[in-house]
Amino acid sequence: MSADARLGNPNQHTENRTRRRSPGWSGRLAERWRGIGLSLVVVVATVWLGVTGQLGLYIHPRYFGFTLVMAALGLIFVVASFVVPSPATAQSRSPRRNTFALGGSAVLLVVAALAVLVVPPATLTSATATQREVNSGGLDTAAAADQAATLVGTGDYERLSVKEWVSLLAQSDDPALYTDKTARVTGFVLPDSDDPENVFYVARFVVTCCAVDAQPIGLPVYQPGWSTSYSTDDWVEVTGHFAANPSATSKDTLAVQPSTIEAVEQPSDPYVY
Amino acid sequence: MHRDRGTVRRVPTGLILGVVLVALAFLVRALSPSFAGWGLPDRAQDTVTLALSVIIESAPFVFLGILLSTVVQVWLPHGFLTRFLPRQPLLRRASISLLGMFFPVCECGNVPLARGFMVGGFTVPESITFLLAAPILNPITIITTHQAFGFDNGILVTRIVAGFVIANVIGWLYSRHPDPDSLLTPDFAASCARPEQNGHDHDHPHPHGDGRMQKSVDLFARETAVIMPALFVGSLLAALTQVFVPRSVLLALGSNPVWSVLAMMALAFIVAVCSNVDAFFVLSFGSTFMPGGIAAFLTFGAMIDVKMLALMRTTFTTRTLVQITALVALMSAAAGLLVNYVG
Repeated sequence: MSADARLGNPNQHTENRTRRRSPGWSGRLAERWRGIGLSLVVVVATVWLGVTGQLGLYIHPRYFGFTLVMAALGLIFVVASFVVPSPATAQSRSPRRNTFALGGSAVLLVVAALAVLVVPPATLTSATATQREVNSGGLDTAAAADQAATLVGTGDYERLSVKEWVSLLAQSDDPALYTDKTARVTGFVLPDSDDPENVFYVARFVVTCCAVDAQPIGLPVYQPGWSTSYSTDDWVEVTGHFAANPSATSKDTLAVQPSTIEAVEQPSDPYVY
Repeated sequence: MHRDRGTVRRVPTGLILGVVLVALAFLVRALSPSFAGWGLPDRAQDTVTLALSVIIESAPFVFLGILLSTVVQVWLPHGFLTRFLPRQPLLRRASISLLGMFFPVCECGNVPLARGFMVGGFTVPESITFLLAAPILNPITIITTHQAFGFDNGILVTRIVAGFVIANVIGWLYSRHPDPDSLLTPDFAASCARPEQNGHDHDHPHPHGDGRMQKSVDLFARETAVIMPALFVGSLLAALTQVFVPRSVLLALGSNPVWSVLAMMALAFIVAVCSNVDAFFVLSFGSTFMPGGIAAFLTFGAMIDVKMLALMRTTFTTRTLVQITALVALMSAAAGLLVNYVG
């Protein structure tokens, strides 16, 4: 037994066996079940998100297939590890480290299970958006503007999304191009950090890989005193036309002058890709 | 412990226990949204969301890496991989840096795979070379980088060449280390040294059937025990940096030839996106940042980031990781500056 080797007293092996079994057992338990427990938590969460159609809250749709296949394989291995008996080999560790290992593993597992299995799935909030400057990246503007141009060709401007308007504005913010056009867009309310009292963005997150790389994009809406009726992170549908932005401090030269702002439910697919 | 007795009786009990636990986990997950109003503060909620997105994104690659590592250690004949490699050390490491072509598992999956290679006979410097080269020199990364950038501004070529050179230079440096085993954590060095644990007992041929299955499952348990906690901690660190470090600070630096390189390397370090897809991510910064910054992001970020360091810490000592990080950062920065000033 490893502990004996550490203590350098092989003669005590037999007598002390019973006494030392407990720490050895706890260390082995930690070694054996820490990874399997964490894997179980992750694969169950992944499969459940996939089945309930919420995987898009975390990763880009192009990975759905791969992620679910690997989760299924992981699930098989997790169940198999309950069936296949573990071999007798144990890590050579002191009893104290074994107890630490078991305690640490248990804490990690409980925290992980709470975060992954109990906290309801959620979209990112404006707290993250404010850390990442709006419209500073995230869009392959050329490709998105091409898409938008196709829609513009149909003359149906109300079908353009936040993403398409933002890419059009990134190409040109010449007021003449936008004056008579009406936008109807859905997004969450994100205050403009330069003029939070008068201007907010109808914002969405653009995701290229997973939520960790989400970049906020948004259309500026000029509505003094908006915060009396809406709060940050509320989902709204804004209808209005573009005009020169009256705000003195906002960086955007154009803003939507809203004719209506309606509260809406968060869409099932809150991110754009 | 009655591990040795009653194996036959254990099988159904274990299966039932496993299935019940999995079902229980599903039940908890399915019922918990109805306890609405957990009311986490926004930043805490976003930290959980971001960490979870990294975990859900990376875990499949980790599983794939462990499965491939299992194939190498348990199912392929011993020395199968090393048999085809040149013996001359420089050529050997050069070939190893191209192994990623056959194991396109992304950087997080490479850690268990590199561990498997070391157990299976690779030297420490050889594994480091693999670990650094494989995230860049693999078909998926090259294809996605090409899709994103084509051959514009030499970004793709810089990434491939820099990846190869950096991995081999660092491999060569460590090959001159007098005691390479001291680069490893004691735990991992010990498990490399124990032949009965690594599935390659030279005196006995491979076990067959059940024996191999048992070894595979056991390897899964042991590798996840090491890698999954590191993945959770690394993802949490990545999420915390995201929530508390304003990204706009970095983006303000995009148009300066020197700062664009350093800022993009810092971004790569905290974003911790997988190398298979980081090209799409960084594409959206193409208008803000100079090409050298993008090239440095794609080179440095593929090898080193906050999540990778947590994963690599399972295998290498902190001192080794500091050295590797500094070397990779210096050489990536050099590559980026070269693109900005010469390209």
